Amino acid sequence: MSAKNEGTAFLVPVVAFVALFALVPVALLFADALVKSGGYSGFVSVVTATRNARSLDNSLEQGGLSAAFAVALGYPAGLFVGRYAWPGRSVVRSVLLVPFLLPSLVVVLGVLDLFGTGGVVSGWLPATAFFGSGIPAIIAANLFFNVPIVILLTATGCESASVELEETVATLGGSPWRAYRDVWAGPTALGAAAGGLLTFLFSALSFAPPLLLCGAGARCYTLEAQVYALDQTYLEPNAAALLALAMVLLLVLPTAVYLTLVSRLRSNPGRRAPTLRPLSRRSPIGWGLAIETGLVLAAEAALLAAVLDRTFEPYGGHGAGAAWTALFSPTTTAHLGVSAVGALGNTMFFAVVASLIAILLGVASGFAIVRRPDRAVTLGLLLFVPLLLSPVVLAFALASFWEPVLGGVSGVWSLVIASQAILALPFALQSLEIPLAGLSPAARDAARALGASAFGAFLDADLPRVRDGLITVGLFAFAFGLGEFTATNFLVPPALTTLPVALYALTSVRLFPEADAAAGLLLLLSLAVFAAISFGGRRVEL
Amino acid sequence: MSSSSAVLEVRGLSAAWEGMPVLHEISFSLQREEMLVLLGPNGSGKTTLLRCLVGLERPVAGSIRLEGREVVGVPPHRRGIGLMFQDPALFPHRTVVENIAYAPLLQRRPRRETEEEVARLVRLLHLEGFEDRRPDQLSGGERQRVALARTLAAEPRLILLDEPFASIDVELKAELRSEFREVLRSLGIAAIHVTHDREEGLFLGDRVALLFDGRLEAVGPPGEIFRAPRTERVARFLGYNVLEAGGHLEAVRPEDLEIVGTGSARVEGLVLAEGTTGREHLLVLRTDSGERLEIRSASASTGPPPGARVGVRWNRSVRVSLEPAGSSADRGRD
Repeated sequence: MSAKNEGTAFLVPVVAFVALFALVPVALLFADALVKSGGYSGFVSVVTATRNARSLDNSLEQGGLSAAFAVALGYPAGLFVGRYAWPGRSVVRSVLLVPFLLPSLVVVLGVLDLFGTGGVVSGWLPATAFFGSGIPAIIAANLFFNVPIVILLTATGCESASVELEETVATLGGSPWRAYRDVWAGPTALGAAAGGLLTFLFSALSFAPPLLLCGAGARCYTLEAQVYALDQTYLEPNAAALLALAMVLLLVLPTAVYLTLVSRLRSNPGRRAPTLRPLSRRSPIGWGLAIETGLVLAAEAALLAAVLDRTFEPYGGHGAGAAWTALFSPTTTAHLGVSAVGALGNTMFFAVVASLIAILLGVASGFAIVRRPDRAVTLGLLLFVPLLLSPVVLAFALASFWEPVLGGVSGVWSLVIASQAILALPFALQSLEIPLAGLSPAARDAARALGASAFGAFLDADLPRVRDGLITVGLFAFAFGLGEFTATNFLVPPALTTLPVALYALTSVRLFPEADAAAGLLLLLSLAVFAAISFGGRRVEL
Repeated sequence: MSSSSAVLEVRGLSAAWEGMPVLHEISFSLQREEMLVLLGPNGSGKTTLLRCLVGLERPVAGSIRLEGREVVGVPPHRRGIGLMFQDPALFPHRTVVENIAYAPLLQRRPRRETEEEVARLVRLLHLEGFEDRRPDQLSGGERQRVALARTLAAEPRLILLDEPFASIDVELKAELRSEFREVLRSLGIAAIHVTHDREEGLFLGDRVALLFDGRLEAVGPPGEIFRAPRTERVARFLGYNVLEAGGHLEAVRPEDLEIVGTGSARVEGLVLAEGTTGREHLLVLRTDSGERLEIRSASASTGPPPGARVGVRWNRSVRVSLEPAGSSADRGRD
């Protein structure tokens, strides 16, 4: 078999998986809805309906404001993380992804714990209760998720700036400001812009924050929440599908720009060996950046601490830890339809299988790219398709396409796993890019010359070099699965409830202490996964 | 020679990297229009020394005087020292002309003067026809020419070249180093050229300085350093065989060793390999005391086969010491 054929053979499972569990169901969902509604005119009437148009406005408003504030807060911290050497930098760089992967409900609870009625901060500074409800609360939650993304992508830009060029500018007479302007303002702006766009995408489509932080009604619903409401509350699946189509169309441009920015960011020459500078005592700018970074990190940590702290408050006449006991009590099981242990078991099962699929797809994509570099761009674009699909749209399409085939809810667990793997793919596989770029054709050729088969050469020469990347892919997909709420909530029946879905159910019936304990459990699990990722110097790339 | 004509004077310079000493009390001076070649193996501290001179690293002790003015603590953009790396580090989005004009524009020189200067440097570095190209449209040698032109356009008082030809192929390297040498000589600019290639270093330098483990072990004119190495490390770096004979160390050029019968030999050993390099016959052997020797002969075409036991003698050698006499040396022009 030729190298091209071998590469193609490994492209097939990747293409088939993305096609069967994303492209085809979504395309059929949209096509079916367009046919049933009379085509373009039906589409227009759905999109322009008052409540749907308002959700579009909400998406743009929440996305735009969140992106602007996230860039303003994240850019200086990104410069500090990407440019200076300081104790704990690599740990912070790794842990910064924890908020991104936390279930949105944990963050919603955290915002309420800090700024809601009787919150930790609002109780002390009443003016901050402004951030406890409505749009400010939604923006605060979005910032908690997304500021770390801006920090990480800005830091990546910073690390990609050429140190030699910066030093050359200095020796040619350019001041540090000039070196910033001519050498690293460009890559850092690229990173911050990519982070801002990702923030826009996630915030414009946020689900839990507008659902839970805006009081009763659909006043703050984004497109994502509105699609969910149309399908599940108003029982208008056709309108939901058409609004989902509008949402995907809206995402095409920002997603394309994001991918272009990230690809330019990664093509910078200095990226492979970032050189960090010591923080000089006499650098006011450096210390200014350090203070801003400290404040941002403190705010992130405060929200997580508030969630954990709540789990140890006295509850129901019992002392500290009563919330944890209540979470695992028969009363909670009766509310959820499944025990908290069962929900945790479901969560772990889905996350483990989704991460194994992500690893297998990673190996297959890796092999396909190595043997068919001419197809790398096509494959890359295919793997980024899920970025265009919000969790609700994907879950909606999977349910419409597969549930009739699977015969009801019995096969739903496979859809949950597929949705988690698909949604994690674009981010998880980024961590393979650098190891794949560093693969040596010479080592592979040497293995072939010594008698190894094509796949044997991949196993012996290439796989060991991408092993860490694959472990990161698996752990990232696992962490993603742990926290995935929106698609899972759409798909699972009560018996298969996961911990994030249980958390939502507990919040809905106002069992906040039990919800806090569930949130604390998810938070601790996420932190453990990130400790595992950062162990041995591995790191996730966005 | 009086140090008043020195463009650069370095005294007692020490530097450290993450608390580990890298340079130990380096002292030397550089005269106007002189090219000093800094030779040494990888990891000897050559690049750190350059980075201290240009201001990218701060020494832990010592003094650096540029045209009589102390510059330790002066930031790099105010020192007036040019630096060229192995990586030409050109602005990828700027053309050749825009790269060269970078420093004159920073210095706010009049537009006409800048244009004339750039045109002059384009001619000097044989870059005619490439003016509007971007770096990714240039070969490795052309990129290095642009980098030198850009450095010269800043009108530095001194230029530091950090292995600028290391990633250039052999034929072009020979052409470029001659060309660079001529350009710098014609402009009368003092330069320090760092390399680990001894042939390149000996060819280019008015003086060479040998750096080992952060210590200068020899500074002087290339011929003098080559003819009379003083320490074992310098001798080995310059290609000498070093043998212990009569209780002291002797450095012997490979061409001064002679194969003889075991009766009249000064040392004996086993042949490891023999063959031709094209220009000369090469014999490699291991002596009974474990030394590896290279014997080169322009006249011989064959030699004893691998495994043969042979005797070796020599008539010309240099006595060398294990360690340098002082922590640093500054011979030659000073």
